[in-house]
Amino acid sequence: MGALENGATVIDIGSGGGMDCLLAAKQVGPNGTVIGIDMTDAMLERSGGAARAAGFVNVRFEKADMTRLPLADDSVDVVISNGVINLAPDKEAVFAELFRVVKPGGRLQFADIIMKSDLSEDARNNTDLWTG
Amino acid sequence: MIEQAGFREAKVVEKFDPFLGTNKEKTARKYGVDGVNFIAYKR
Repeated sequence: MGALENGATVIDIGSGGGMDCLLAAKQVGPNGTVIGIDMTDAMLERSGGAARAAGFVNVRFEKADMTRLPLADDSVDVVISNGVINLAPDKEAVFAELFRVVKPGGRLQFADIIMKSDLSEDARNNTDLWTG
Repeated sequence: MIEQAGFREAKVVEKFDPFLGTNKEKTARKYGVDGVNFIAYKR
């Protein structure tokens, strides 16, 4: 996975508590921008507080659905994400939206989970399998 | 799916077990769940 370049614009899809954004902000430096995208108010409050407490001024958090990002076309150098895209009901829409906002020459780099084969209907409906 | 969206050179760069040591480790192995680090480019 590539290091984040100094001055880059980075978005984190499903930024949660903001930790990955803060790490990214250190890498891109004061001339870069990191935007955390999350759909939950509680996580936005937590991540915003964490960024303020840490003194980061090149990070902001936006409430949005990952299929409708509040970002201009071709405006992002790198999209990062950690275990979130698998949760999207419409993954095709997510990747189409990410393609819209990534600059030519930009990239996706993310961590997530994949299935080697389709789940049975019973397995899909058994939430005990997937919850702690 | 990612290349259908327009990205290119999409690839898994690393695999890992995200459930290792958790109470869902056996479930994840049974159903073939892998963790991946993934990269793709907009050319």
